Amino acid sequence: MAIAHEFEYFKPESIEGVIELLLKYKGKARLLAGGTDLVVRIKDGLEFPEAVIDIKGLTELGKLEFKNNRLFIGSLVTFNDLIDSKVVEEKFSLLWESSKTIASMGIRNRATIVGNICSAVPSLDSGPALLVYEANVVVKGSEGERVIPILDWFLGPRKTALNADEFVYGITISLPEKKNGGSYVKLGRYNGEDLAQVGLGILALEGNEYRLAFCAVGPLPGRAKKIEALLNGKSLTDSLIEEAKNLVPEEISPITDVRATKEYRLHVAKIMFERGIKAAVERLNGKGPAYGKKLI
Amino acid sequence: MEEYKYVGKPVDRLDEKEKVTGAAKYVDDIDFGPNLLYTEIIESPHPHALIKSIDTSEAEKVEGVVKIVTGKDFPYKFGLYMKDRYIFAQDRVRFVGEQVAAVIARDPKTALKVAKLVKVVYEPIPAVFDPIGALKEDAPVVHPDLGNYPHVPWFFPKGGTNVAHHTKVRKGNVEKGFKEADFVFEDTYRIPRYAHCCMETHIAVGLLDYSGRLTVWASSQSPYTQRNLFADALAPLGFSHKDIRVIAPYVGGGFGGKAGVTMEVIAAALATAVKGNPVKVMWRRDQEFYNTYMRQQVISKIKVGVKNDGTITAFEITNYWDAGPYVEYGANVVNASGLSATGPYRIPNVKIDSYCIYTNLPAAGPYRGFGYSEMLFSVESHMTRIAKAIGMDSVEFRRKNGIKEGDSVAYGAPMNPNGLLEAIDKVAKEIDWGKKETSNDSGKAIGKGFAIFWKAPAMPPNVSSTAFIKFNEDGSLNIIVSGMEIGQGYLTAMAQIAAEILTVPPEKIRVELPDTDRNPYHWQTVASHVTWANGNAVKRAALQIRDRIFEVVHEVYHYDKDTLYLEDEKVKCRLHHSFELLLKDFVIGGIQTENGTYRGGAIVGSGSFMPEFTSAVQDPETAQGGHPNVHYTVGAAAVKIEIDKQTGKVRILKAVEALDAGKAINPMNIKHQIYGGLLQGFATALYEDMRFDENGKILNPNFTDYKIPTSLDIPDEVVPIIVEVPQPDGPFGARGIGEHPMIPAAPIIANAVEDALGIRIKSMPITAEKIAMAILNGKKEVDEFLMIMKK
Amino acid sequence: MNKISFILNGEKRNVYVEPNDLLLDVLREKLGIKSPKYGCGRGDCGLCTILLNGKSVRTCLILAIEADGQEMLTVEGLSKDKLTPLQESFIRHNSFQCGFCAPGIIMTATEFLEKNPNPAEEEVKEAISGNLCRCTGYTPIIEAILDVKKK
Repeated sequence: MAIAHEFEYFKPESIEGVIELLLKYKGKARLLAGGTDLVVRIKDGLEFPEAVIDIKGLTELGKLEFKNNRLFIGSLVTFNDLIDSKVVEEKFSLLWESSKTIASMGIRNRATIVGNICSAVPSLDSGPALLVYEANVVVKGSEGERVIPILDWFLGPRKTALNADEFVYGITISLPEKKNGGSYVKLGRYNGEDLAQVGLGILALEGNEYRLAFCAVGPLPGRAKKIEALLNGKSLTDSLIEEAKNLVPEEISPITDVRATKEYRLHVAKIMFERGIKAAVERLNGKGPAYGKKLI
Repeated sequence: MEEYKYVGKPVDRLDEKEKVTGAAKYVDDIDFGPNLLYTEIIESPHPHALIKSIDTSEAEKVEGVVKIVTGKDFPYKFGLYMKDRYIFAQDRVRFVGEQVAAVIARDPKTALKVAKLVKVVYEPIPAVFDPIGALKEDAPVVHPDLGNYPHVPWFFPKGGTNVAHHTKVRKGNVEKGFKEADFVFEDTYRIPRYAHCCMETHIAVGLLDYSGRLTVWASSQSPYTQRNLFADALAPLGFSHKDIRVIAPYVGGGFGGKAGVTMEVIAAALATAVKGNPVKVMWRRDQEFYNTYMRQQVISKIKVGVKNDGTITAFEITNYWDAGPYVEYGANVVNASGLSATGPYRIPNVKIDSYCIYTNLPAAGPYRGFGYSEMLFSVESHMTRIAKAIGMDSVEFRRKNGIKEGDSVAYGAPMNPNGLLEAIDKVAKEIDWGKKETSNDSGKAIGKGFAIFWKAPAMPPNVSSTAFIKFNEDGSLNIIVSGMEIGQGYLTAMAQIAAEILTVPPEKIRVELPDTDRNPYHWQTVASHVTWANGNAVKRAALQIRDRIFEVVHEVYHYDKDTLYLEDEKVKCRLHHSFELLLKDFVIGGIQTENGTYRGGAIVGSGSFMPEFTSAVQDPETAQGGHPNVHYTVGAAAVKIEIDKQTGKVRILKAVEALDAGKAINPMNIKHQIYGGLLQGFATALYEDMRFDENGKILNPNFTDYKIPTSLDIPDEVVPIIVEVPQPDGPFGARGIGEHPMIPAAPIIANAVEDALGIRIKSMPITAEKIAMAILNGKKEVDEFLMIMKK
Repeated sequence: MNKISFILNGEKRNVYVEPNDLLLDVLREKLGIKSPKYGCGRGDCGLCTILLNGKSVRTCLILAIEADGQEMLTVEGLSKDKLTPLQESFIRHNSFQCGFCAPGIIMTATEFLEKNPNPAEEEVKEAISGNLCRCTGYTPIIEAILDVKKK
């Protein structure tokens, strides 16, 4: 209902304006794009910023562009913008499929993928895709611009590599050089929207290269390096898949909470891996279920 | 079946246009002016504690605060069937979230800020959460003064214990019945708490005007009962019923949660503390979960004996109900379902014990099904297992033992006319019962489940319903009643009944929402009895008007009243075919006679209905000898599901439900009740999953983690079937069906899971996780119960 | 206090707001727009949905001040002269029961049908999957939305 906590509101019109405010408020300011995470947290008394900096005045941040084999996603690009983009659907299908599993129309019209990685919640649906695409986070601050690889971005639950005087300008994803197929498999409690109880993003690249990343089963989303090491260079067989399945418990550390038990998450994670990797390879070969079709 | 013009037709809902244009007003849509005050409630963090002190001094100093109230300001007890609760906690709190104090401020932000400044010191005392544990000698006693609480004569609280009420039914001789049986089977089932999740949260605005009149606007199913409870709770302030007014506009869902009184009494009480200012109490979504009524938890122990040919010889059930710390309404859930705990079966020897037990989980009470949704999971799961054990088909078992008209129910009264066998046959046919289906996908299993069900309105024996009808100058009508439109289509049904008798089409009829100053009495909109009870009242009012019309016409034209009839909004005569008098020409202005004078004048009608055959005088030891229930509505339902054997996920391929509505006043709206009620029931079976921590605090009071169905969760196909075996005392033969669609949903899922996988899950909810882990671990029976999470 | 202005249901309006005022509350309390409702306050239920610059959004998660310079459409704006074919379809199908979810679903479906005037049933289900309804079981709502394309 109402928000009792009081704060200043700014809507700067330039990058410099944003940085100036960040410096002024020394970590006590919060950036506002879609607000679907920040506003809930302010209402719940989990965030009490002295200032809210609305970046929706910087139209350049709304850019979603594919140029020179690189996708640039500005920090105002919403999940529905990604879903509506033909380029994302066709060339970055794993990101497209992940975006479709998120929340609802009304949330996706506002929530941004940059906001999602800045929230750094362990269950973030955009995490696995960005990790396997090996995206880069373009950050601007008082010292200028820097690029943080997504593999170095997540430091802990709700903790990122961003400094207090910095903000995310956008995300870049290089188009994988090799032909590829992917799948994002998400465990929810039913068909309606849900936070992932297990999330798994897989990219299968031509020449038997595999990249996998989990979310919601550890304090950070992360790549499944052991499974990748086992699979890389080999073509997929049933026994290889079985062997890889047995490595799943070594890659993840799920907990028991109101949403699911640790045991169920472990059990389904193996099934998600099996179905997901098969679908990724089928899609690599131009077959398999259409992107967006749920595998579990 | 007689063919009617309006009754039995899918007439357009009267309220649909208001609802799709944003014109429909709910309580929070009413503008109460610049003096509206806002509240914030200070709530207990403990499940059971003594209140040592409340310090409001710092809070009172803040500008914008009008008043801060605590239990000291309102030491008044109230309760519908038993007076066991206070408006604000007095010397102790009994559940996490119970209201201890309230801040009233000029704006909501101040109220929020100031609430944090109120300091309460508690001394926690031992709490009890398990209903069976609460019966032990050394269990903490939730109400030490239970023995002194006033209550209705058909409740039996045991002072000094946590037993708020115990319904006993004894019919025949169960020991003899079990001896006669060829097969006896006993088991235990566990059903957790659930939440109504009405889209509109509870809200009430109270105003004590400067003349001393108290008005409460409430999202309520029971405006008259609320008025009565307010008068009772605030009796020390000297209110007469005529000086309390309850207004209930459209209600955004009730499902039983807005019956009786829960938080509305806070608004009524606070209004008396800030005379001249309307004060709003509106629940946030999390408060809606933990401080209204939850659906009660129940542990059911059932033992049934059958002969080899399937005849049931004996039925014994003990239901332990966790009703929370305030059972003033919930005790009737225990009682009502206790009387009917056999399900719709013909059984000669019956023993039922239904205990209403105090615990320190949040207050619990009425929810769609009123105990039947809860306990039918046990009964219909058990019956299917018995049929399987003796090698008899599940549906055949129901056909053989299904109760017929005239059979005696558990408490001895005769069963009313009903279409149970017809419902069973139609459902079995529609679901293709007997045909085993397999999935094309080897990783999936298909199963079918079946159940029969019943419910009678659970009411005191003397509930009344009344109606006024008046004409307008153009022949349109206003029907003035105090039933509530909570979504079920009540307004439309009443209009159809009046339309049929007075031949005024429903488009020319308005049905007015309750205002206890103006609309005449109706007990509560609960119990699926309103189409029947208020429909009868509306019908009587319409007939009274029709009689009056014929009387006036007779007086002026001298035609025999028996030859007069209404058609197309005109009075006509069977003998004099050319005679035709438009209603609108005289229903306000009267009929002019030959000498220029007038007869008749404005025509109005009233109707009142109360059943005169119900009584609550049964023997407390056996429940025999009274007639507590007016009639039963029966039905049958089946479901076909497909289970992913690895993930445990259930897909509902087809759901079928047949209800005996007596006479479907509006068949389209009844089918819509079936779509909504079945889905609500399937949700309790599959994914609604309320969890508490070890301190009795609810862990998921929000839609993020308490999952209710979305449009993606509906069955692939739902087939609603209406059976019509008339209810002799119902308007046009109608009886109620509002709660019923939900009742069979959980057992048909449990039965279908067993059919598909050979696994019997005896505890709700039957989540994908439970199914997957049972398959993984090779378990044939599951009774895992996770409602209270251990660390 | 900040003065903000915007187009609301086709009309230019101004209002004074604090930074921490929520758009849902300002619409309901200061602008007389009662159709978006409070359901959960967390963006989970969709009852507070309106169209902001043509897109369905959850006003319980938007600060009122963010609406400065924007364009908003609510159910009241749809109902000014004639009803829309969507609203008429809901009436024909007796779709809504208690009606509390109706404004949110109507605005979501309005955006959806604008982008996708001839949807398949699965697409309709997905489009409104973020709008909770406790009464209807969704079937009569889905049928009404599908029926708009036939007209």
